[in-house]
Formats: sequence, C-alpha cells, structure tokens
Amino acid sequence: MLLEDVLAGTVRSGISVLYAAEGELISERSGVINLGMEGCMLTGALAAFATASATGSLLLGVLAAAGGGALLALVHAVVVITCRANQLASGLAVSFLGLGLTSWLGAPYVSQSISPLNRVNIPVLSAVPFAGPVLFQHDVLTYMGLALGPLIWLFLYRTRAGLILRATGEDGAVAFAYGHSPTLVRYLAVVFGGMLAALGGAQLVLAYTLNWVENITVGRGFVAVALVIFAGWEPLRATVGAFVFGGSLALQLRLQARGVDVSPFLLNMAPYVLTLAILVIASRGRARRPPGEIRAVFGTSGPGSTRSAVDA
Amino acid sequence: MKKSLRRAAASGLAILIATLVLFPIVDITVEDCLVRTTPFVLCGLAVAVPARAGLVNIGGEGQFTFAMVVVTATVLLVGDTIDAFLLLPLLAVAGLLGGAVWAGIAGLLRVTVKLNEALSTLLLNFVSPLILAYFVFGPWRDRSSFNLPVSKPYPDAAQLPTFGLTQVHLGIVLAVVAAVLAWAVLDFTRWGFTVRVVGGNPEAARRAGLPVNRIVFVALLIGGALAGLAGMIEVTGVERVLRPNIGVGFGYIGFLASWLVGHRPLELLASSFLLASISVTGDSLQINAGLPSTSVYVLMAVVLLLVLAIRGLITRSKAD
Repeated sequence: MLLEDVLAGTVRSGISVLYAAEGELISERSGVINLGMEGCMLTGALAAFATASATGSLLLGVLAAAGGGALLALVHAVVVITCRANQLASGLAVSFLGLGLTSWLGAPYVSQSISPLNRVNIPVLSAVPFAGPVLFQHDVLTYMGLALGPLIWLFLYRTRAGLILRATGEDGAVAFAYGHSPTLVRYLAVVFGGMLAALGGAQLVLAYTLNWVENITVGRGFVAVALVIFAGWEPLRATVGAFVFGGSLALQLRLQARGVDVSPFLLNMAPYVLTLAILVIASRGRARRPPGEIRAVFGTSGPGSTRSAVDA
Repeated sequence: MKKSLRRAAASGLAILIATLVLFPIVDITVEDCLVRTTPFVLCGLAVAVPARAGLVNIGGEGQFTFAMVVVTATVLLVGDTIDAFLLLPLLAVAGLLGGAVWAGIAGLLRVTVKLNEALSTLLLNFVSPLILAYFVFGPWRDRSSFNLPVSKPYPDAAQLPTFGLTQVHLGIVLAVVAAVLAWAVLDFTRWGFTVRVVGGNPEAARRAGLPVNRIVFVALLIGGALAGLAGMIEVTGVERVLRPNIGVGFGYIGFLASWLVGHRPLELLASSFLLASISVTGDSLQINAGLPSTSVYVLMAVVLLLVLAIRGLITRSKAD
C-alpha cells in the first residue's frame, strides 16, 4: 500500500513542523516574528533525546524539551520586546545560538539511539482500514499535534485570552488602552511558541528519527515560519501546510526507498522548493493581511528601524 | 563624511585592542585571519547593500554556494584552454552572475508576488548545497579521488595568485576594494541616495516617483553578486577544488558582521576581521579540543544578541 504508507509517513514527518508552525503562529499573532524556531526545535530535540536516554523516561524528555525551548524563546523575547531590537536579526541569532549549543552539547549523543515513544493504537478506530494506520496508530505527541490546530483555533476565536492576544498583535496601543499589557502578552506568546516548537523537536527525535545528529532539523523551523505566512495566520490552514511539507518529505523518502532513478540530492530539494511554491501560491490568492504589528516589522526591516508601537 | 571616518577609526581601534588580547591567548596567525576575513567582508556586503534599500538578505549562504557551482562549471568547460589573465576575470564574472541569479530568484518573487525576501532567501539556502552535492557526488566526481565527493582539482590558471610565500591571496584586496566602492556608491552617489530613500520610506519614495521595485531588485542582485564573488574567491583562492561544505556558515557570519556595524561598509572591514579571528580560533579549538565546528556559532550568536540588545536599548531611550 504505497498511498497508505506515504500518508502515514506524512503525518509522522509533518507533526514536528506542525508544532513549530502553530508556535510561530501564536507568537506572530501577538506581534512578534520568531525566526528562532529552528533553534527552539533543535533545543527541544536534544533536551528530549539527552533526558530520555539518561533517565529512560520519555515523559521527562518531553518536559525537558518544553523547558529548553521556552528558555531559548525567552532570550528572543527579551531582546525584541524589552530591548526592541530588529526581530529578524535577533531570531536568526537565536537560531544560531540553538544550533551551536546543541551541536556542542549534543556531540556525545551522536552515535546513540533510544527506544521510540510507545505507539498507542486508538481502540476500534485503529482497526479501520486505511484511516486506521494513517491517523490512529501513532504516539501521544503525534495525537497532541493533530489536535493542536483545532485547539489553537478555539483559543484564538472563542476565548477572551485569544481575543486579547489578537488585539495585541493587531495594535499594541489599542490593547494597552483597554488595560492589557502588550509586553506581558507578547512575552507569554513568544515563550509558549518556543515551547511548542521544542515539542516538535521532541517528536522528531522520540518518534521519528530515534537518534541525534547535529542540525537534525535541517531548516524545519524556518519552513514553519514560512508556513505561517502561507496559512495567512490561520491555525487550521497552518495544519494543512505542515502536512503538505510532511507529505513531500514522506513521498521523497518512499521514492528513494523504491530506488527511483533520480538523484537523492534532487529529491531532497523537494520540501524546500515546495514550500517556496506554496508561498508563491498563497501570495497570489486573496492576500491575507498579516497582524498589524507584524506588518510594521516586514515593512521596515532596514537599518536602525525600531517599532513605534506604544509599549508599557 | 567626518562622522563615518570617525566611526571607522573607532571600530578599527576596538578591533586592534580585541586582537591584541585575542592573538596572544590563542594560537592563530594574522595570515589565517586575513584569508578568512575575505569571504566575511563580501558576504557582509551582500547583506549591507540590500539592507540600505530596506531588504533583509539572509541568503548569502546559498548565493555563495550556487556561485561556486557556476564557477566550477566554467572551469570544467574552459579551464584548460584559457590562460590565467583571461580565465580569472571570467571566473569572477561567473561567480558574480551565479550569486546574482540565486538572489535574483528571491528578488523576482519580491517584486512580482511581494514574497518577503528574508524567507525566500533563507529557504533557498537549503537548496543550493544540494545542487552542489548533486554535481560532486555525480557527474563531476573525480575518478582519481578514491571515490571522495570532490571535483577535479582546478588547473593552475584557475587559482588566485597569493602574496609571496603566504596563504594570503588576491581576494583580500578585492574585498577591501568592494567595501570602499560600496561605501562610496551608497554614501556619495545619486543612486546610493535613492537606495537609502527607498530603505527609509518606500511609500514616500514611490510618491516621489522613484522606481521602487527596480531599485529593490537591483540592490538584491548586487548583494547576491557580492556573495557570489566571495564563493569564487574561496574556491579559487583557498580550496582549488569543489567539494561539499566549503565555507559552511560564511553567509550567516557575513549577516552577523553587517548587523554588528549597522550595515556600514567601512566598519564592516573591522567587524569581519574580528569575526574571522573568532572563526579561526574556532577551527583551532575544533582541531585541538575536538569541538564540532558549529560550536563557534554560540560565541557569534551571543555577540550579535548583545549588540542588538544594547543598540535597541539606546535607540529606545533616545525615543522616549
């Protein structure tokens, strides 16, 4: 069953990007772009791997990942929210901090492997032909990831906190006028976003690769940032985008396994080229407006630019 | 003019002090640092020139790599038939073009479908190393290399001349010339002025009748071409063979070098030299202490974050 195989692979390889994309979405909806997602994913991946292989507890691994990702995102938050530095430059620096730290600290773990997160087959549903193997024979992190898009949608559009988050991202001054602190909202959003990205990293090593190598995410965190734009800052569309990326990864691996006569290097380009292509398609369709505060960052990213939003 | 010279002198002094501290502690030579400074300056200019037009070019890494592929293709095609006086300029043009083409993709997407160039250049960074790998693992693999993924070594005519018996090659001269030229063009010409207007306020520029899209596109092309030149210099001056992982991270370090000095070309020379010293130190740590080469990113990221934070706080206190 090639199709079933590819689709199950799509879910498994798309989930890590999905976590990062939803994390980035929360962060951007508060008005902060975080290019540091790549670093947060790497931190989460190494923290999960190292903790799980030292303690044998996958749960501790996941918690360590969340903590590590939150810490790294906090660095970005301090630099861009409190110090008001350029968000793109700071995010990239945070990604490199994550890359450097994890390849340094992760060196001893390179040749080790760990036992995977337990597959939990959902009763009844997992026995359904086709849909079962694709959707209902995964690990806990993957199920959580599948629920993430709808949960964040509910949060953004059906809760008061979500409304405050969106208002802050649209115009910090307005949120401030209504008695909310844009600074606090953004700190929470950025740190939570980094945590989600780190969980994506944890899923990557605990359920997908089962080993650690330097720079194991190879750009997934950056792809996640791109997917948020593709998704027009909508959580459900971000889910679709993540699975398109995961699908191209899964298909490319399957083709390589079948010995298709195309250079693996050319096949490896597919996910990145595809991401660019869907960005182009997204920008051709009905253009979705980015949150107001984000527009300011994308608009003036020149030298010495600072955002003029009123912060408390 | 006076102000920028003073700033340049100040950063020169800072570098001098930093290196006086750094050099005695770690075992590195000025020679190695000058060789490493070259790609950092050019990759930094690849960020600085578009940045003046308000663009964020994170793609130096990919432009650098794609240019090396184009340069090597040129060498394999005509390297044995032309002598150095003609071949080296030809290769320089190939490098400039290669980098410009790779940046041009992002530029085209920016002016046609308004795709943010920071993202497109970043994603393209993951593509060009795969193109390089495709060629050196495939059609260009040298049969006499014991199956290593390397191309045929460059012929003598395709190697940048070095100074005397040192490793220092012509590239450092080109890098300095490029930095001075960029400074002169951006700060003292009509075109440089329009670039800065577009970077300062694109809407005002549009209303004043400036061809904003064309200026943005050309600025990004020039940036890509400079990163491409860096690739050409690295592959003809240092490696003299195409293999995977040449100059990994140089594009990102150039990004850092340019942000450190607020995208000012003359001071970029100083920041590049400082980062080159750190990078060469990283190499010796990697060899002596067995650290992975990417751990030098930690030091660089911390430096950049501190500079960004401090500069941000200063502008913030001025604004309040």
